[in-house]
Order: sequence, then C-alpha cells, then structure tokens
Amino acid sequence: MVEVYKPQSLKEALELLEFNDCTVFAGGTDLMVKKKQWTGLEPCFDKPVVLISEIDELTEIKRDENYLYIGAACTFSQLIESSLIPEFYKCVFVEMASPSIRNMATIGGNICNSSPAGDCLPLLYALDANLLIQSSCRNFEVPIEDFIIGPGRNILKSGELVTKVKILNSNFNIIKYRKVGARKSTVLSKLSFIGLADMEDKRLHDIRLAFGAVAPTVVRNREIEAEILNMYSMGLVDVQEITGYYSILIRPIDDQRSTAKYRKSSCKRLLEDFIKSLL
Amino acid sequence: MIKNIKLQLNHQEIELYVHPLKRLLDVLREDCGLLGSKEGCGEGECGACSVFVDGELVNSCLFPVGKAENKQVLTIEGFRDTVRYDVLRESFEEAGAVQCGFCSPGMMMAAEGLLRRHPHPAEQQIREGISGNLCRCTGYNMIIDAVMLASKRGDGLW
Amino acid sequence: MKTDISAPVKRDDVADKLAGLTCYIGDMRNEDMLYAKTLRSKEARAKIASIEYPVMPEGYFIVGKNDIPGRNRVKLLLEDWPFFAEDVVNYIGEPIALIVGSDKAVIQELIAATKVIYQKLEPILSIDDSGLLPIYGETNSFADYSFGKGDIDKVKRIAKYIYEGTYETGYQEQFYLEPQGVIAEFKEGKATIYGSLQCPYYIKNAVIDCLGISSDRVRIVQATTGGAFGGKEDYPSLLAGQAACAALKANKPVCLLLERNEDIECTTKRHPSRIRLTSYVDEGFKLIGLEADIVIDAGAYAGLSGVVLQRAMFAAAGVYNVENLRVHGKAIATNKVVSGAFRGFGSPQAFFAIEMHMEHAAKEMGVDPMEFKLQNVVKKWDKSTTGGIFRDKNLLPEMVQRVTEMSGFAEKKQTSKKPRNDNKRRGIGLSMFLHGCGFTGNGERDHIKAHVKLAKNSRDEVEILISNVEMGQGINTTMKKIAANALEIPIERVIFINPDTDRVPDSGPTVASRTIVVVGRLVYEAAIELKEKWQVGAVQEAECSYQYPEGYEWDNDSLSGDAYTNYSWGVNAVEVELDTLTFESKIIGVWAVFDIGKSIDDRIVKGQIDGGIVQGLGYASMEVMENQQGRFKQRSSTDYIIPTAMDIPIIQSELMCQPYSGGPFGAKGLGELTLVGSPIAYALAIEDAIDAGINSIPVRPELLMEVMADDKKY
Repeated sequence: MVEVYKPQSLKEALELLEFNDCTVFAGGTDLMVKKKQWTGLEPCFDKPVVLISEIDELTEIKRDENYLYIGAACTFSQLIESSLIPEFYKCVFVEMASPSIRNMATIGGNICNSSPAGDCLPLLYALDANLLIQSSCRNFEVPIEDFIIGPGRNILKSGELVTKVKILNSNFNIIKYRKVGARKSTVLSKLSFIGLADMEDKRLHDIRLAFGAVAPTVVRNREIEAEILNMYSMGLVDVQEITGYYSILIRPIDDQRSTAKYRKSSCKRLLEDFIKSLL
Repeated sequence: MIKNIKLQLNHQEIELYVHPLKRLLDVLREDCGLLGSKEGCGEGECGACSVFVDGELVNSCLFPVGKAENKQVLTIEGFRDTVRYDVLRESFEEAGAVQCGFCSPGMMMAAEGLLRRHPHPAEQQIREGISGNLCRCTGYNMIIDAVMLASKRGDGLW
Repeated sequence: MKTDISAPVKRDDVADKLAGLTCYIGDMRNEDMLYAKTLRSKEARAKIASIEYPVMPEGYFIVGKNDIPGRNRVKLLLEDWPFFAEDVVNYIGEPIALIVGSDKAVIQELIAATKVIYQKLEPILSIDDSGLLPIYGETNSFADYSFGKGDIDKVKRIAKYIYEGTYETGYQEQFYLEPQGVIAEFKEGKATIYGSLQCPYYIKNAVIDCLGISSDRVRIVQATTGGAFGGKEDYPSLLAGQAACAALKANKPVCLLLERNEDIECTTKRHPSRIRLTSYVDEGFKLIGLEADIVIDAGAYAGLSGVVLQRAMFAAAGVYNVENLRVHGKAIATNKVVSGAFRGFGSPQAFFAIEMHMEHAAKEMGVDPMEFKLQNVVKKWDKSTTGGIFRDKNLLPEMVQRVTEMSGFAEKKQTSKKPRNDNKRRGIGLSMFLHGCGFTGNGERDHIKAHVKLAKNSRDEVEILISNVEMGQGINTTMKKIAANALEIPIERVIFINPDTDRVPDSGPTVASRTIVVVGRLVYEAAIELKEKWQVGAVQEAECSYQYPEGYEWDNDSLSGDAYTNYSWGVNAVEVELDTLTFESKIIGVWAVFDIGKSIDDRIVKGQIDGGIVQGLGYASMEVMENQQGRFKQRSSTDYIIPTAMDIPIIQSELMCQPYSGGPFGAKGLGELTLVGSPIAYALAIEDAIDAGINSIPVRPELLMEVMADDKKY
C-alpha cells in the first residue's frame, strides 16, 4: 500500500514532490471515486499520495489593486462564503455538485482534473485566469488555456504544483451563465455556457464567451471575440456569422449524458440569445 | 503504510491504527462500530454517509481518514445526543419525513448543516441544503416540511 | 381503540431509523462471516468454453453451478433463470460464480485472476432483432397472450374516426437507497437467510429448490429493508440461493452485498415497452373499439415478465369503456439484464400509451381532449377490458373536477398559449388512471392463498404474524392500526416484528398493492375473531385465510372475467416551464386526487403519494437508461440519476373515498397507483408547452429538440 504524506507547508510539499512521483490529493472528490474499490478496502492508489488540503499558503484568498489570488486548495464553499469573491463567480460555484461536495472539492482540483466538463473552467477561461505553478526549483505563470491540453490532460510535470489562480480584476455588467444538466443539482454538466460583457451606453467594451463540455477542452476564442467587438463598433452584428465561427470550434460527442447534436445546438441557441441580448 | 491516526470522534479522543487513505465511512463502520452512517452509493451522490468534519458537512465515502487527523468528527451517533437532534427528530416524526430510513441519518446531518448556516431557511434554501441527499421514498416534500418545522420549533437553538 | 383509522399515528420505526440504530442487512455483523463477490459475464451472449480459476488459498472457495445441490433454477414463473450460468451466458453481468473468503482484497485478486474463455454468439439486443438463434423457446417470447371482447371487425367498418399511434417507454431502475444484500448461514442442516427483501416465502421456495432440501430446513428472516419498489421482489431469490450454496460449501456464514453500481448494472429494471394502439370512434365521439399490441422487453430470462405483461394488457384501455377490444401482448427475450418488478408492474407503460393516445386522437378529431376522455370514462356496471364488472361508483368525474380547480387548469391552458418573450413556455397536463389492487386474475385465489395469524400473549399483547414486510411504506404502523382498531385495544399493545418464516404463516409477498387490501383485510377478520373469543390473560390465537369474494369470476385460459376485485383511481395534473433555448423543463406544480377507499393513515398515505409521484416524474423526465451492445450506458449513480429535492415542487394532494367493501375499513390499494399518473401528466404538460406530440418517455431535452424540429405534430 502506498505512502501518504501530509506536508505542513508549501515548501515541504514541493520538496516531497521533487523527489517522489506522487499523486497530489486536494479535495479528493474525483480521486476517491476513480480509485474506489470494494466497500471496506482502501482506494487503490498506485503512487504515493500527498494530501495538500491543509497547507495554509494554498487556502488563502487575496485581492490587490489589480488581481484576485485564489489558493488552489480553497474549497468551493470557502469561495462562496468569501467576501473577496465577486458575486457572479459564486453563481457558477453554487451550481456545482452538492453542499457537502463543495465543502471538500477545491478549485485547484477542478482545474488539474482538466475534465472538459469541469464546472469552474468556462468561468476561468472567460476571466483570462492564469495559474501559478511552483516546483522546488522554479515558479511560473501560465494561462489556463495553455495549461489544459486535452480531456484529463495538462502540462503539469512531476514535481510541480498549481498553487494559485490569478485573475485580473475586471468589470462585467452583463453576465450570463448556464449549466445544462439532467437535473437541478448534484449533476455533471451536459454543456455549459458563460457570456461576460462590459457594455456602456450601447457601447460594447469587452466580451468573453466560453463553452464547457462540448470539445476536448473548454472553447474560448479571442479572435472571434475581437471580431464581435468590431462588429458592434461598426453597428453590423451578424449573429449567424458569429454562431458560424463557433460552430467550427464546438465539437461535442455522444455519451451517456447527452448527444453531440443536442450539445451543439443548445450552445448555438444560448450564444444567439446572449448576442441578441446585447443588441 | 498503516499508521496511528488521532482524531476526536463524537467528542472523544481516539487513536486508530489504519491506512490514512481508508475511507472515513469504512473506518466509522468497521473500526469504530458506528453503523449509523450508511453507504448508498460510494460516489458522493447520495449523501447517506454524511458526517461533519470540523463542522463541515462531508461525504464520508469520499473522505480518507488521514484527512481527518487531529480533527473533530461528528457522526449521527454523536449528534443524536443533542437537543437540536431531538427537535429535528420530533419534527421528522411529525412531518412523516421517514419511510425506509436508509437516507435518514444522512438527511439529519444535512438538515443540521443547513440549519447551522440558515437557522430560518426559506423553502428553496432547504431544497438546496438537502440537494446532495437522495431519498427515493418520500419525494422530499415531507422532509422539507420537517426541516421547516424544526427551524420554527427550535428557534434560538441554531 | 376505536378512533378514526385515517388519523395519523406515530410510526414507531422512525426514531431508530433517524438515529442510525436500525439494523439493515449491511449492518449485521458476525465474527466468522465470509464475504462473497460475484464473477460476472462480460459478454452479452456467449458459450462458456472454459473458466480458468487461480488456485484458491485455504479458506477461499469458488461457488458455481456445480455447487448447487438442488436445481439450478430460480423458482419464479417459468423455470429458466439459473442461479449461476451453465454453459452459456445471456447478458452482461450475469453471475457465473461467487468467490468466497474472509479477506476482500484476496477475493478481489482472485476474481481479477480468473479467466473466462467465451465463444461469442450473436446477441439479441432489441425487441426487433429477428432471425437470430432464440434465447427462449422457438419464438423467443416468454409470454404471448391475446384476449378480446365484442366484435372489433364490425367497428372497423362502422367507425367514423380511426386513429393509430405507437408509444414507447424506457427502462427504469428502482434505485432503492439500500443496495441489495443477503447473509446466509447453515447450521445443523438448516439454512437461514437474512436479507433485504419483499417476499420471504418466494425466497424460501427458491432456496428449497436450490438446495434440494425439505421446507423445515430453510428459514428466511427479513432484515429491515431500505426501500424496494419491486426491485426486491424477484432478485433476492437469486441472491439467497447463491449465498445459501456458498454457506453450505464454506460451512460458514456468507455475506453477499451488492455495491451500488453493481446493483444498477445487474439487477432487474422496469420493462421497456412499445405499444401500438388503434382506436375506433363513432360520430358521437364514443370510443367504440380499440386494438392494442403490446411488446415488452423482458431481458434474458422470464422472471416475472408474464404477469407484468398481463397487467399491462389488462390496462390497455386505461379508464375508458370500450366494448369492442382486441389485445395482443408479447414478452420478448433479449440478451440484456432481466426485466422485473417495479411499482406499477406493467401498468405505467400501458397507461402512458392509452392516455397519450386519447389526447392525440381527440386533437386529431378536433375535440377537447378532456371532454372526449370524460365522455368515455367507465361507469359503475361497465365492463373492464377482460369483461369484469366495475361494481363500485367511479368518482373520476368529481376527481377531475377537483384537480382542475386545484390546479387552475382551464386558466393555465389558456395562458400557456400566450406568446412570451423570455425563452420560456409553460404547459399543463392532466392524466386519469386506475390500478387494480391485489394479484392479477386468479393469483390470490389459486397461487397465493394468503394466511394470517394473530397471537395473543398472557399480557394481552397481540402479535401480527404475516409474511409481509415493512420496507418504508409503513405497514409496521398500518397493520397495527388495523388490528388495534378491530380489537379495540391501544396500538401500543399490538406487536409487529420483521417476518421470519419459522414464525409467520405465508400471507403472500409484499407486492401488487395487495398488503392493505388483501392481507390487511385478513388481519382485520382475524382480529374480529380474536376479539369475540378474547379472554383476559389467556394465550390465544386467531387465524384467517383468503377467500375469493362471492360473485366474482375469472378464467385464466381465456383471460376473462374480473382481473381484479377492486380498483383505486387517480387524477394528476402537472405544470411545467420549458426553456426554449435548452429544452430543459422545470416542474412548477403538481396536483393530485386519489380514491384509495378509506385511508388507513393520512400521513403514511401522503408519503406514498409524494414518493410515487416523484418516482413517476423521474421516469418521465431524467431517468434515462440506454443499452448499447448489451451494456447500459448509464451504469453508475453518477450517470443514472433520480430526482433531488431541487427538482420537485410542492405536491398538493387530496383524497376522495369510494370504499371497497372487501378491504379493511373500506381501504383499497395505494402503493403502485401513485406512480402511474404523473409520467403521463408530465408528458402532456410538455406537449402543451411545445404544441407537438410526445410518444415516448423519458422526455429528454435531446428528444424534445428533435420533436420541435419535426413537422409532424401528433
């Protein structure tokens, strides 16, 4: 049976990770299901496990003039209750799983799990979130869309840890989030959509659009967003054209939760509705 | 790597000799003989195994005991000795909130967790509060009535 | 004491259940108990060429087909279902053997190291697959029945309107919160099985056959059962036989508990169905004829499919009076999990078909569906589908009236038509239904022959000795109420203990909405007898056996006569709000009126109503179970989902009472009825919202998207 480490500080955790190929365990709400065995038997981990959920540096939420910093091991309940977290983030977080799962599941876990259906991912993509990654020899920052490279796959190397999510403070006055699932709570999404816009006196300053669970990774595209801004400034918004652009990027699959066709056309309608709401 | 893990279980210090990844649910049921927490799914979907760890409601089927080290664990066996439990129990009885009973201990823990956050919950808050606890018998409405009744009757307790 | 029996009393099982003190099968502990895990088929259909087991360490056992001392067949209707696969496997998940031992980790390794060599056969995966080697008999159907009345060929000639439609329903998993499980032990030549179960004597008979031993050497004890809904009617017989053989071989107690996902993937489900209806209507909009062709997907073995099919067929005309009728039904064998019992037992499928059909037919003819339905509703002295007689007044018109008032039906029908600018549409639907209570046809008379006993001790406490089980539905309380009321003693002096076949007579299984109306009546009669001969301080007994009521008739060969002795009725309305961007629907109101005769306990009745309605709403909306190449796509609790508290609104329900003279205090059946109507009302509400026809459930958003894109309306 595998070793289990419970480092008390980030430094200790990074040192451990430097010399051991380990499974990093934060909330465990996905890992414990994946590794589940017959009732009564310990879950079957194949590598040593590092429990990181109690490391202080990883559970802090901070805000300065420019950025919001969320510790990777913050639970979703902690985020929902924090006064530093903008309300519209919370609208996304409260639709995740159930109260007890939100008491365990962490934002870093949701990111590193890198599932296309990860509930907080479309929001983080839309917010241009960066991840702070540390190892005992270097620290670096990477945009979330460069971090996740496929379903369940990311660039994190052995020895590295996602320590913080860094988000530029921004102003959006139009916010639309839709998680589409087969029931109203405790459900994995069939698809999700987030639209953020900064609009003032009929002038669109910024728009962010992201779609979850409809491609190998979250769909967000800055060129199309720039084009939409351009269309608005010229007063020539072509909804068909916009949905056409996204139609190429939205490549869902059929699975046990939904169909590709439904996912794609629902995204199209949610997008159209959002664009029209800005007209 | 089995090791000694100390924690406070239902207000008593205990020391266990178990693997830290063993599910808290299995530790409670097998090592501690506390059978009130039930396994309905083992995947965090049903909430029948709900317990509190340092005051937070968690699914003990997803919670390795190593994470509970030096923490306070409260199960239905500890909760049932409280005045708040008595109020909830009476309310559940009167509202007809129990049928087969398999979800009931977990439902009581979820109700307690909800009332700690919202002592006077609105109907929708109750629905959200117990949304991680499946019940296949009651259709939930009599449970919601029960929690509402408890919040009124136990005014000041939470 | 003589009080109004409908007034709620405290359930004395509740305090222990809330406190976590109730002992379910998974809570039973025994020092030298062994664990068992099932080796299961990975193929939908194959010959087993060979099985290579690893060497069993000392104290570990393989228990398979060769370890069955008696017959390797689960005793149900037809004798085709093996405890362990013999030379072929017929569905993914079919048990091949158990590996038994003390250490779960070792058992798991042994299972993983076992190699089953299959020779694949072409599986039958749908009721339409033809030309393949039959699984059962020559025609591949476990049951094929026909009956009719009147002259259908004549009405075909004279009908002004002919309307035809085909309706489909999907699988539904019971998802009782407590997974299935049994513990078997063998002591001094006697097998004792403890389990989560509905039918102690079904299991006893199955184990007698399995072990090939005499009746006095098998004892079944029910452990408090964490929900069942039909799912613990048939399957526990299989588990009990397997565990009993294992206990015999290992000479130790053996515990066989299913994991949730194993239970979802391998145990019985509600039968998927396809029902084709053709109705014949005259110029005055009277339903003069109906043809029904019902096909249910039975899975790999017969199980209870024959009787499920019969109930579906008898319900083919719903609550409507039709004098000319032809019904044909088939239960087809497929290489999938065995379909089995689930609350409603064929009836939800049939009612969905006829209610949607009547609605669509009315719209097609250009008449108001509600008027068309009410015009054709059965009345007292009308004949049932099988030519039986409706002997009691039918309160349906009043019930419909009340539900429309409660729900504001007419007004909502209007508002649902008004255009909105918020991507939402509302709709409301109403269903009418009945449920024949007790066993179908000659079941109670010729097969079950229920027997009950009351035993009074010297302290003048009376114990109810019946084989029916408390599984959440409250019979621990309602049975005691019936006895206490009849005996005119305080309920605290009546005892009910989980049945043990060594102590209780066979009062039949806990199924078919029969417990109160049939067994409750016998308890009542025994209580009256005991009261008459009551001697203070004396140890006394009273017994009572089922007697088929006078004036009723049933012929099982022609399937004609009174299929049931009493009927309960219901009317449900459901209102939904549909999001036109995603086709997600939100249930915003549910209203219901039921006639279950005299309510034995209003609070327990409400619990059944709420629970049944919500299971029905799940069935019609989110409970999706698709089979692909013999394997379920939704095979975990994460993917097969049931409603949460967030998915359901407050349910407003009322009772009306047309008592049944043969039931205790005028009570009729309740449990199953409550599930039958809500799926229909839900589907009709969606239909109202989108103004296009729904012909199948579950109504997934994915399906709605297709329906909306389709031009064909109904």
